[in-house]
Amino acid sequence: MTRPYGLLRAGFPFAKTLGMRRLTNFPIDIALGPEGRMYILCRQDGAALVRKYHVDDEDQGNWGEMGEEEGKLQWPVAIIADAEEIIFISDERLHRISSFDPDGEFISCWGEQGSGEGQLDGPSGITFDLDGNILVVDTMNHRVQKFTRDGEFISTFGSFGSGPGEFNMPWGITVDELGEIYVVDWRNDRVQKFDTNGEFVFEFGRSGDGDGEFNRPTDVAVDLDGDIYVTDRGNNRVQMFNSEPRYVQKFLGEATLSSVGRDYMMTNASPNRLRDMAVLEPQKLLRQPKGVVIDEEGRLFITDTGSYRVQVYQKEVIHLTSQQLAPPMRNVTLHQE
Amino acid sequence: MTTTDAGATTDIGLLAHLYRRAGFGATREQLEELSHQSYDDTVEFLLNPTPEVDLPPDVLARYFGGESPNSYVSIWIYRMLNSRCQLQEKMALFWHHVFATGLIKNEHVLSSSNQIDMFRRNGMSNLKDILLELSRDPAMLFWLDNNENHNGEPNENYGRELLELFSMGVGNYSELDIKEASRAFTGWTFGQPPPLYPHGYYPAQFKFDADDHDFGEKTFLGQTGNLDGSDIVDIIVKQPASAKFITRHLYNFFVADEPQVPTWNDLEPLDPQLIDEMSSALLDSGGEMKAALRVMFLSDSFKAARFKKVKSPLEFVVGVLKMVGEFTELRPGLEDYATASDAMGQRILDPPTVEGWHTGKEWIDGGNLTERVNFAAEQIGDGDSPGISALITRMIDGGAMSSPEALVDSGLDVMGQLEVDDSTRDALVKFAGDSEGDPEPSRAVRILRLIAAAPEFQFA
Repeated sequence: MTRPYGLLRAGFPFAKTLGMRRLTNFPIDIALGPEGRMYILCRQDGAALVRKYHVDDEDQGNWGEMGEEEGKLQWPVAIIADAEEIIFISDERLHRISSFDPDGEFISCWGEQGSGEGQLDGPSGITFDLDGNILVVDTMNHRVQKFTRDGEFISTFGSFGSGPGEFNMPWGITVDELGEIYVVDWRNDRVQKFDTNGEFVFEFGRSGDGDGEFNRPTDVAVDLDGDIYVTDRGNNRVQMFNSEPRYVQKFLGEATLSSVGRDYMMTNASPNRLRDMAVLEPQKLLRQPKGVVIDEEGRLFITDTGSYRVQVYQKEVIHLTSQQLAPPMRNVTLHQE
Repeated sequence: MTTTDAGATTDIGLLAHLYRRAGFGATREQLEELSHQSYDDTVEFLLNPTPEVDLPPDVLARYFGGESPNSYVSIWIYRMLNSRCQLQEKMALFWHHVFATGLIKNEHVLSSSNQIDMFRRNGMSNLKDILLELSRDPAMLFWLDNNENHNGEPNENYGRELLELFSMGVGNYSELDIKEASRAFTGWTFGQPPPLYPHGYYPAQFKFDADDHDFGEKTFLGQTGNLDGSDIVDIIVKQPASAKFITRHLYNFFVADEPQVPTWNDLEPLDPQLIDEMSSALLDSGGEMKAALRVMFLSDSFKAARFKKVKSPLEFVVGVLKMVGEFTELRPGLEDYATASDAMGQRILDPPTVEGWHTGKEWIDGGNLTERVNFAAEQIGDGDSPGISALITRMIDGGAMSSPEALVDSGLDVMGQLEVDDSTRDALVKFAGDSEGDPEPSRAVRILRLIAAAPEFQFA
């Protein structure tokens, strides 16, 4: 699989809003399945569940239960699904990774608390590598560990600190189509990229609210063009970078009422009046977004955690050949030809 | 003599008393660490919180989150348990008592929790700033109907309670002052927040609606002009009556139980001299709350007031949890304790009326006393909990098993040098004697459990 020589970025319009309060309370991460199926992980004090959903804004029920026993969740953080829709969920309180079938039937779990090789302390982000192994962000041990799907330890990289390859309570993680690894270094306000062996490649971001700066970023996604998306939770936005990584644009939120939200409002006169009296501007914006994922069709899903919904954008891009895109230039220019 | 020449505080019981009142209790280890500095320095430490070394807000936000009252209260309890800024949290609770605002009417959890955050942020600042922020607080504006206070059609609810319950007390102003203050607050409202459904709470924001404000001349407490709300607050905080009223509230909350607020116009303070000194400090400093608090905590009256106050339900719950040593780390489950004080008569974020909770002995009746005793006995009776386990070790290592009297004295000592009357002590010693021969840890935890059930344990 090769990436295009260049991109004509035609646009990245807002596509739709999914979910609403009571259906998707405090969504923090999403796993995508085939045929538009989605598994939205929801967590708040006293509740943890998976909302099975469809990209057409259709609720398909939920599963998941609070508790310490196997098959239950306490502080789930991340959710991923493999090609057979086996669901894996990390739990930073129970220090384990649990797997379920698409209907929530518990399959197995692994992980034990500790700081030794193969032990976990507050696992958060999880992702598959190209071999189907699972990379786990071991937050309180400030490292990333690789396991087989069955929890057999393979390797680890990272340690506490702020230098290259070091972490301070890392959170989200993803692997691109080339097998390279991106880790959100939460308390260092940056993202680091590693090769398939866990060797440091580059880092980007620093503390702040300007373009390319972060305020406690949480999750990262990479599409097939190599574009990188980072949920900049403290700044209530998602930022997009190209593969270099150069800042491209940000997503602040453009939510409309979801279809389930419209259905609700159509039968409730009082909220309609309150909405009519309120300023609409803040209602479209992202609030403390946590999770981000992009599918092969270029649909960008953002868990708008503070607003109980998912905001979806659609990437519009045309791949360019070397004949269609001039060679890179060393200097900026005012020439327009 | 509680402080040595070298500046250390030798009276652990005094420090325990200070932390029960200015905070929510302290472990024996914390008290011993504090004993290395003078009492006065400890008071200054409490008066000048250093949030940069306290609970990082990003970490709290990462691990906790929810929209319910219990969710907010549980995070607040976590702060009460773990924050080094104990007085800051206690002052937030103090203002919640004085400026009682209830969810039962407001129903907007975010506005109520934002109000508490405002109390935490400003609670030890200047009285004028505090009253001004209060007057702009959406939860308060709605609670006392100032959103219905229109030009030419005033609603006097906020103006009245601002004077009667929030600053001066009855007898220190006229009905005309209420009317004029209310006119000054016309147009002080908030923008309509979006509805809860379908996308959750949005914060309400203060809004000054100039089109709805009465810009006419007003006369308030003898001053005439085109007064607005901030002018009213400015005049209020300069009144000696306000200083006396607010410091009496402080005394009631931190030192000893006064009669209920409605009687204050008829009954003199329990300690008029201390109230005068605190009032002077407040007025002389231009309204700085720390000035009054400093005078109070350093006074002999305060130091002598050990176990003179009935713990409020929340103080009781948090104090027990702190003793038990639970929730010193981030973990789920605190929401289970968010309602523990409800059954004892104190539903946080939801005081019964604008007058707030009645304090002192009115906290106690047969039903909620049972709730208190059961809660404490269950928690403290868990010898495996980290806090109780540490206390047991300390007791045994300190020779508590040498006699029934030593066991009782040791238990009272580790529970904050609790003072009990002779009949209680005799009963405890008899119980301790009856358990001789039982395993030492079991004897220790049982005496702690029994002490927690004693009437004296209800006092701070």
